[in-house]
Amino acid sequence: MHNLNIQFEIQPSSGVPIYRQVMDQVRALVAGGKLQPGDVLPGIRQMAVELQVNMMTVSKAYAKLEAEGLLEHTRGSGMRVAEQSGPGTLAQRKQDLRPLAEALVKRGMLCNLSAEQILAIVESVLKEQR
Amino acid sequence: MNSMTNPIVEVSHLGKAFGSNRVLRDVNLTIPQGAIVGLLGTNGSGKSTLIKCLLGLLRISQGTATIYGEDVWDLSAATKARLGYVPQDIQLYPWMVIRQIVEYTAAFYPRWDFELTDRLLQEWQLSPLDDVGPLSPGQKQKLALILALGHSPELLIFDEPVASLDPLARREFLKSLLEITQDERHTVLFSTHITSDLERVASHVAVVRDGRIVLFDELDALKDKVKRLRITAAIDLPPEFAISGALRTEVDGPRALVAVCDLQPHTVEDIKQRWQAAVSVEDLNLEDIFLELHHSE
Repeated sequence: MHNLNIQFEIQPSSGVPIYRQVMDQVRALVAGGKLQPGDVLPGIRQMAVELQVNMMTVSKAYAKLEAEGLLEHTRGSGMRVAEQSGPGTLAQRKQDLRPLAEALVKRGMLCNLSAEQILAIVESVLKEQR
Repeated sequence: MNSMTNPIVEVSHLGKAFGSNRVLRDVNLTIPQGAIVGLLGTNGSGKSTLIKCLLGLLRISQGTATIYGEDVWDLSAATKARLGYVPQDIQLYPWMVIRQIVEYTAAFYPRWDFELTDRLLQEWQLSPLDDVGPLSPGQKQKLALILALGHSPELLIFDEPVASLDPLARREFLKSLLEITQDERHTVLFSTHITSDLERVASHVAVVRDGRIVLFDELDALKDKVKRLRITAAIDLPPEFAISGALRTEVDGPRALVAVCDLQPHTVEDIKQRWQAAVSVEDLNLEDIFLELHHSE
């Protein structure tokens, strides 16, 4: 029942907290379809032992992903990919868009536009597309 | 997992002086159950003295310290049985063989987990029939750790546990530590000056500098909060350029490098607006954070 061929890569000495690294990788696996809705993730303890990290780190990552709606509790104590997830949960889709939004905002600031002016541009583009 | 309500170790305004030499000043520390706390500091920062004060091996000069609610200078036998401690300078009886020293140590405790100690001896490649005397420093350290774990203590206190271990043995030790402590019943405090040892296992980090705890937080929270800003302004920045909460500021013409302790979203915006600057935010790992903390004077 576990997807044993999932490989997580953790870099403990990165500036990105380990729990965030776990979150990012679960998100990516779901987005890439390697984890399907209903798939059960390794248990917290198992994951912690495999990654050789503190158990609280894994439990924090799972809890945050659950709050995002990407994961849900199974009837037992495990965690699985939420049914409505697939490659396109709201959280996932928002996450995918973020880098583009960041690029847009950075560019806008370089051009010396205010937050209001940038938002106005986004709104006008939205209107055109509707 | 809000266990701050159940502190295992509680230190308040602790001070320790040897004659006129004040080694610890106004140390405050609350360790919740289940935490794995890395006590991080340079050599001579006061880590070992703090640990000895917490165990009642040194009498504190000011303030209070309790373990499981008991004054550390007056711990009951029951509370002492819940403690496992490995000092930096390990004293073992050189004329015993390993099996003897395990049995000898076990005799002091009402309960002893021979299954665990046998397993660890095997995992760490210590032969029960070998003499203790000729063991290498690394082997002695492993043995001392095993002896400290045999009575299944709930609070583990290690002073530089991996200092004399090679990288492989260090990794093995950290792995065993994780396995033993994966039940949230155990609480661990260990000192080190090697940040990479901490990053995998620690839930919390306490940074000791000049006898004070200058920072105590969850490791994740620390990485989330402490950031370095790389600022490039349109004009030269004044030498007195400052940002609130800065750990260290380095100004060079229109450019500045600022490490901040608790980056607020509006801070970046404020700098951009005020100085017409481009600001990039960099993540810092524990070593970076440690160095930033020690740069600031």
